[in-house]
Amino acid sequence: MVAPRALSEFIAEANEILEALGRELLALEESGLEQADPDRLNAVFRAAHSLKGLSAMFGLESISRLAHHAEDLLDALRLGKAPLDQALLDLLGQVVDMLQEMLGEASRGEDSTELKERSEMLAGELQQLASGGGQDTADVLDQVGIDPQVRAVFTEYEEHRLRENVKKGVGLWKVRAVFSLEDFDTRLATLNASLKPLGEVISTLPSSQPGDDSSIAFDLIFGSSKEKAELEGRLLEGATLAPLTDKMFSTPPPPPPQRKKAPLWDDKSISGPALSPLASFTSTPSGLSRLATTPEPSLRSLTNTVRVDIGRLDGLMNSIGELLLIRSNIEKLSDAARQASGPALPKLWGQELQREVRALERRLDELQKGVLDVRMVPLGQVFDKLARLMRRLVRESSKDVVFDVSGGDVELDKLIVEELSDPLMHLLRNALDHGVERPEARTRQGKPPRATIGLVAKQQGNHVIIEVRDDGAGIDEARVREVAVDRGLVTREQTEEMERRELLNLVFQPGFSTRRDVSELSGRGVGLDVVKTNLQRLSGLIDISSRRGEGTTFTLTLPLTLAIIRALMVKVSGRTYAIPLNAVLEIVAVKDEQLRTIEKREVIEVRGQTTPFIRLARVFGLPEEKRPVHSVVLVGLAQQRLGLAVDELLGQQDIVTKPLSGRLRGIPGVSGATELGDRRAVLVLDIGALMEELLRTQVAAS
Amino acid sequence: MSQFAELLDRFFYRPDEAVGSFLEQAPISDRIAEALPDETPEEFLAFVLEGETYAVPIGAVREILKVTDVTEIPRARKNIIGLINVRGEMLPLFDVKVRLRLAEVPPVVLTGKDVGRAARILLLKDLEGDAGVLVDRVEGVVKLQLSRLEEAPGLGIDRNAIAGLGHRDGQLFILLDVEQALS
Amino acid sequence: MSTRRKVLIVEDSGATRELLRAAVESLIEVEVHTAVSGFDALKVLPRHRFELIITDINMPDINGLELINFVKKNPHYKDTPLFVVTTEGREQDRDRGLQLGADEYVVKPFVPEQLCELVRRYLKL
Repeated sequence: MVAPRALSEFIAEANEILEALGRELLALEESGLEQADPDRLNAVFRAAHSLKGLSAMFGLESISRLAHHAEDLLDALRLGKAPLDQALLDLLGQVVDMLQEMLGEASRGEDSTELKERSEMLAGELQQLASGGGQDTADVLDQVGIDPQVRAVFTEYEEHRLRENVKKGVGLWKVRAVFSLEDFDTRLATLNASLKPLGEVISTLPSSQPGDDSSIAFDLIFGSSKEKAELEGRLLEGATLAPLTDKMFSTPPPPPPQRKKAPLWDDKSISGPALSPLASFTSTPSGLSRLATTPEPSLRSLTNTVRVDIGRLDGLMNSIGELLLIRSNIEKLSDAARQASGPALPKLWGQELQREVRALERRLDELQKGVLDVRMVPLGQVFDKLARLMRRLVRESSKDVVFDVSGGDVELDKLIVEELSDPLMHLLRNALDHGVERPEARTRQGKPPRATIGLVAKQQGNHVIIEVRDDGAGIDEARVREVAVDRGLVTREQTEEMERRELLNLVFQPGFSTRRDVSELSGRGVGLDVVKTNLQRLSGLIDISSRRGEGTTFTLTLPLTLAIIRALMVKVSGRTYAIPLNAVLEIVAVKDEQLRTIEKREVIEVRGQTTPFIRLARVFGLPEEKRPVHSVVLVGLAQQRLGLAVDELLGQQDIVTKPLSGRLRGIPGVSGATELGDRRAVLVLDIGALMEELLRTQVAAS
Repeated sequence: MSQFAELLDRFFYRPDEAVGSFLEQAPISDRIAEALPDETPEEFLAFVLEGETYAVPIGAVREILKVTDVTEIPRARKNIIGLINVRGEMLPLFDVKVRLRLAEVPPVVLTGKDVGRAARILLLKDLEGDAGVLVDRVEGVVKLQLSRLEEAPGLGIDRNAIAGLGHRDGQLFILLDVEQALS
Repeated sequence: MSTRRKVLIVEDSGATRELLRAAVESLIEVEVHTAVSGFDALKVLPRHRFELIITDINMPDINGLELINFVKKNPHYKDTPLFVVTTEGREQDRDRGLQLGADEYVVKPFVPEQLCELVRRYLKL
């Protein structure tokens, strides 16, 4: 019965709700628990509430049940019936993680009892906390004398906020504003923004008594400790102020002395009445102009963001690829027409066509950039989640650690961002578990007892660099050597020739783990090799640097997008291949007689550095031609170098890489395919994997 | 001008045959002889490999393509002829003849010129990602009754890749088990 | 110009909105318009002659109750039938909605057939 469109919408929306929920919880924690922003609490409640309703409609009982318990607790919180403390926030954090796991299961159509049991336990804890709340005494609202007609439209929460304002003894006002139907939303947002610093907007009621058909009136129920005159001075044009109840009006202190408001009026009269109504925002008193122009994010985000399924973007990208092909075909046609011997007419057509091709090219460029932009999302989406989890892990550990995050605004292709959370989490857990020392140990070494783990992102050209660093003990390379030899990853002789850096990089070898006791924190037996493979799938690199006693830094280098990359096109035995340019260091010509062999392996010397020389044709089992000079593409990742011999260099080109489908996955050295002008598929080489393979097995020259 | 003509030929979209057009003709099924009243026959797409007639359920066929450029994939499995570009989608092209012991080695196909004029690619829907299968000729749609299918005899052929045998009008149809044939 | 009967669905949750739309759109005589918030509804209302409004309660900016109050007191719209969609267990919201003049309430998770039946009854289809 559920429409498929709605179902995919559900997963996306539920995910979005959970992300927002996590973000708000983090913000609550950061802003301090004592003066939690009521809007924020309400947002958290609303998120849980929406998720409950949503999952119930899609028959996901267990998600709905857990969300329901969370909602009850949050309801008590926002209505002031339960106190907000750290334990409660932690619990809510766990609930978010659990809901995320459950949603993951649901999207894969799974339903494990293990998860269900854990969720039941959490629900029990939530229930306990929610029921422990205090009782409300006699309703103060009854004493204030608010028009029951007005009260009837308040939700329970709005009533609570009204009550809180009454308890604080602030004045309650009704701000009436009449706006044109054309732009009432932006005008109302501006009014809200200007009122917010003065008090609390409890409710916004569209009024049933409009002046005419082209305008609409609103009543804003507003609580403020400011005096009437000050409030009036700050209202926008078209808004009037009146006390909400007679009772309230009878008790406030006598009107303030004239003297007090004089400066305000003075201010206004200086820049004032001659200005057109449009400019009236800037004519408000100096202190307020800043506030009035502060955008109200909650309102705008509703209308300014669009959720797009990544599959649709891929579809768009494919169409652009097709269009690019058509473009190059038209170009070839026009070239052929212009060069054709015979009548002059085709030549003219050729020129016309050429002009059109240029125009098409410009539009296509714009379109391509546009679609790529849409794919970009801020890394903050992942960083926020990681920050929340790290805070919890730190609290559960016996270590004192500050978690320092920056660069969340750096944007990356959505696909990459989503795939990053696991590798990053692993590295962070590693840093906490193995990297940083306990406070006592740090003090003994003369370090500050509190350790720092950092997660930093920055953009560099077409790449994004993400660093995970700690100021812990660093990596003991002697121990790395011992383990690597123990496990048979390398021989002792080999390690003696290795530089420190190469030694450190051994930790990425499959089967390497410096600690036997897999801890609760970083464990589950997944090693750094998995992190490395994950990154390679994203065309990314990982490098490690470490100093004994000072700390360790993992540096991840990622392309901005996987969808379009610049590539060097090469020909080998008549076949064309694309080599991602980000792996290409330089191109050199090597004479046959310059080739040397070391232990039967061919090497060349480039800038004084001996570099393995690999004939791509031989690796791929293609016929080789004898040639006096080899074109060598020098590729490199991290500290490794490799010279790939090809037959011909065809030049650089922007390519749209496409993944290979299920049955073709896992072909060594190939990361995807692309199409060039003639519709033939061209393989894109996976340099990272090729290097790993070739440097390990070292194809022997014979 | 011949180069120009070739470019034109390349540029203009040559529609591949839709499965539907075969359905309309359905030449073999028109002569329904002895259908049981209580069983609707299933439709299969019949094609020829080395003179033998094979068939797959029509529902498993996404489309039928003419053979154009194929890209070899170094170090891929032997039964993968290469990679084909289907309107921007990169899909594998499989050889099933070796698996069916109809040939010793898979063919080398780089362009449409390397195969016969009648050769086609059946694009099959598959959970692991759609895949193309190279066939010598497409015959058409045949209706076969599931209850009357025979089990394949063990005549030295790889029985795993064969789901069964069907008969109609004295002709034998070998039903291909796509999943097995591609594995 | 379409002669189909216009129904406005006000719901901030995209997935729920799609479900409501799918349910109501199964009636071919009906043309569904949607608004994503109370605000949005205020903008959409004057643009069409709606014959039925279906609104959620819990929404940001202007909540459903405020929207009902607005609609039922406005001379232009007061005769338009209005359904409230409420979540199970929020009886107070439901009661207030009915007090303010809502004609029917639908409890989430709703049964599409029942919703359609209600729509049919009010639009006399």
